[in-house]
Amino acid sequence: MSDVMTAPLAGDDAGMAAGDLLVMLRHGPHGSSWLREGLEAAMVAAAFGREVGLLFTGDGVMALLEGQQVGPLGQKGSDNLLAALEMYDVERCYVDAAALRARGLTAQDVTLLPVTLLEHDEVVALTTAFSRVLSF
Amino acid sequence: MNLHLLNRSPFSSRIHDDVLNAMGPEDQLLLIEDGVNGALDNAEQHLAGLEGRLFALREDLESRGLLGRCAENVIVVDVDGFVALTEAADKTVSWF
Amino acid sequence: MASSETVRTLTLDGRDIGLDAEGYLVDLDDWSPALAEMLAAEEGRELTPEHWEVIEVLRDFYQRFSLSPAMRPLSKAMTQRFGPDKGRSLHLMRLFPDSPPKVGARIAGLPKPTNCL
Repeated sequence: MSDVMTAPLAGDDAGMAAGDLLVMLRHGPHGSSWLREGLEAAMVAAAFGREVGLLFTGDGVMALLEGQQVGPLGQKGSDNLLAALEMYDVERCYVDAAALRARGLTAQDVTLLPVTLLEHDEVVALTTAFSRVLSF
Repeated sequence: MNLHLLNRSPFSSRIHDDVLNAMGPEDQLLLIEDGVNGALDNAEQHLAGLEGRLFALREDLESRGLLGRCAENVIVVDVDGFVALTEAADKTVSWF
Repeated sequence: MASSETVRTLTLDGRDIGLDAEGYLVDLDDWSPALAEMLAAEEGRELTPEHWEVIEVLRDFYQRFSLSPAMRPLSKAMTQRFGPDKGRSLHLMRLFPDSPPKVGARIAGLPKPTNCL
């Protein structure tokens, strides 16, 4: 189904444009290294010229909250990696609106990156539009 | 059509909510490892709306003594079936 | 940052400075411009003002993102700081042959870039 992909759409409808790799980030900062590893995977792919998208879903939406710090044991957070995404030309960042709502958060809370909020059907369309999906 | 793999029990985690939210109307769900606890009758409320698209891996059911305890709507597949589902899908998405 | 092991040392101003198996600093705080000259000289390079532009951008990148850049982001950062001519990979390859991100990071006192092969 997704083998037949239309050309990327321009402008404000670019949300569902085709892409090479969708990285789903489903874990928050600090509790595990999933989030950092997912971001690093996205950056590696982007460094090789792939069109990469990020979908923050589940606890992954917590990555986008302001005010993060190093952990009690000095563990790195993920905010520095988020800041670097732009330098890697990773610019398609999406947030699962349902995951935000479930946590009592709104679009105003996710300020670390410019993101597009997606409802259920759009999340599905996104996973279809990218030729690969990696889950972290 | 994507194939989703879930290895967490719906009784101890709520990841299935995220899976369902990411599933399109034709996507399929295969329960593996602890995920096969979701094949029990009482898990139906958690994995509703997947008629004909909900699978569980036989080997993992067997090892847990669950093979005879699956809900009617669960389709049991062995490892070959797992491979066939993977082949039929555009992409496989893992949830853990 | 996983701490790496000292495989050999350089002596600068009477102080021993540890390098790992690939020639990167074990303690990033050991870096100084004089050390950069020394590391470059070891590889038979002499640092020109153009090299120093790259070193400055590399160190600034690490400061901002706690990350050693791969080629594309290095190129982008150079373009932002010094203009498109300085961001071209040809220019960077001429200054730091083989791999500008790796060689540059070594001389600029950053960890080896993890996201560039």
